[in-house]
Amino acid sequence: MSPAQLRRMVPLKHLDFSLAAPRLVLAVGLLFSAVAQADIPRTADGKPDFSGIWQTLSGADYGLEPHSTRKDAPPGPGVVTALPYQDWALKRRDENFKHRHERDTARQCFSLGTPRGVYYPEPFQIFQRERDLTLLFQRGFRTRTIHTNGSVHPEGPIGFWFGDSRAHWEGDTLVVDVVDFTDQTWLDSAGNFHSEELHVVERWSYVDENTIQYAATIEDPQVFTQPWSFSIQLHRIREPNFQLIENACYTLDYDQYYPIPAAE
Amino acid sequence: MSRHPLLSLSLLALLSGSLLAQEANFREKTIHVVEPGPWTGPTLADGQPDVQGHWSNTIGNHNDFTGTERQPSRVTDPADGQVPFQPWAREKAAEFAAFLENPIRPEYVEPFARCAPGGPTKSLMWHGFEIRQYPGYILFLFDSGTRVIHLDDKPALPETVKTWNGDSRGHWEGNTLHVTVSNHNAKARFGRSGEFVSPDAEIVESYSFEPGGEYFLYKATYTDPSVLTRPMTVSVPAKRITPDTPPDGWNNITFPVVFADPSHAPDIEVWERTCVENNADHGQVALPE
Repeated sequence: MSPAQLRRMVPLKHLDFSLAAPRLVLAVGLLFSAVAQADIPRTADGKPDFSGIWQTLSGADYGLEPHSTRKDAPPGPGVVTALPYQDWALKRRDENFKHRHERDTARQCFSLGTPRGVYYPEPFQIFQRERDLTLLFQRGFRTRTIHTNGSVHPEGPIGFWFGDSRAHWEGDTLVVDVVDFTDQTWLDSAGNFHSEELHVVERWSYVDENTIQYAATIEDPQVFTQPWSFSIQLHRIREPNFQLIENACYTLDYDQYYPIPAAE
Repeated sequence: MSRHPLLSLSLLALLSGSLLAQEANFREKTIHVVEPGPWTGPTLADGQPDVQGHWSNTIGNHNDFTGTERQPSRVTDPADGQVPFQPWAREKAAEFAAFLENPIRPEYVEPFARCAPGGPTKSLMWHGFEIRQYPGYILFLFDSGTRVIHLDDKPALPETVKTWNGDSRGHWEGNTLHVTVSNHNAKARFGRSGEFVSPDAEIVESYSFEPGGEYFLYKATYTDPSVLTRPMTVSVPAKRITPDTPPDGWNNITFPVVFADPSHAPDIEVWERTCVENNADHGQVALPE
């Protein structure tokens, strides 16, 4: 059975990827990776080649949880039912939401963090070598390196904005372990947050040659009562000659001070 | 905030304007010349010369762009090492330099100190950087931003789109990568002495690599009739950083890779570089008092 056939039988949008179902996510992921995929791009060493420019249509950044329309975001069904916040953290999240325009560091064009960079509504490009994958995010034009060279996390804690990413292949699935985070990034633009103890496990696999299934399990014992998972799709941008454009948006607040010097 | 002291070193250097501890290995008194020629070193599967890895400039930085008693000017043409400014432009640069240490107006704060990308040339004069190569692309991972060199013939961006590092198209001839840069906003200064060009400047770069892999020489020729009286060539020599190079927090900002298998051959990697995130004084737009 091809992944496409499987997807038609079990449409992902009908699956509950929330708290009750992390094992289901895993099962679906394993099913995908167990199916031999003949027609996906592969590297010289036979691994799936994720090189390309990608963007999600999931709307996850507007809110991981289901939400009605608001002035700064379209409505969305969410990618989780409800995040399992500890009591104090839920209050903090609600405060964050109220003050999101001031508190969300992504609005200042700071590094987006992980997993948020993957579903921020702006394209990113994957450059892949045997030893690593480089994710170049158009927003901020920052890179995140996912190491696939048999290395392990350096001794922490280290306050990385994107975390420290070390990965291995399980069949056709890239499994990435990410730790050593700062607590300055958010998980979306709706105030959902994490601490420095954030631990993300990502699973990247092809649905078809132009679609990636991206699943992530989030752990943070300081903030959540239990691990939770979600899964979204990333779409390859296939416009002819499409390219990322350096978006150094963190310069916008001072750009006005630097008109080009000219003869008066 | 970052809790690793090395990650904020660039910020300290920016604010102090000092060189910090530059490792002697990278301080050279002359520009190491690499001539264009055939490539006899290792190649990648797509035929590109394999020049991947970690590199750093060997001559000064943006504090001494046109040279001092200890460093030669990075301006190698004209031969006097000075930017061939039109008179009005020389005055503008001098005005910027005069107020650099006392920026009484927001425009006197160097954009680089606010964490703006360094632009096509200054980025190479700063901390060490990494080159990664792919079919169709070369990536430069600078301390101050990321640069993508497109090796295909896709058209450049529309002229009205401007970015700090511009839009780059390149191709290899032997040991030399030739790059044309368009769409640059010209807001980055070459040095703290204020040198600039206009967004109309034509920028043609060459990166000539020694087949032995130890050095490359970067040259950029700027042609800008609105600011300069004649074309100007800037040269920046660079030397390879290896696992044996002692880290110094400036030229060599790499860390040893920790492998699951302790018998794995030594390797180095650069950790995440951030700037504006940790730069409350300038990058987050505190204005001069």
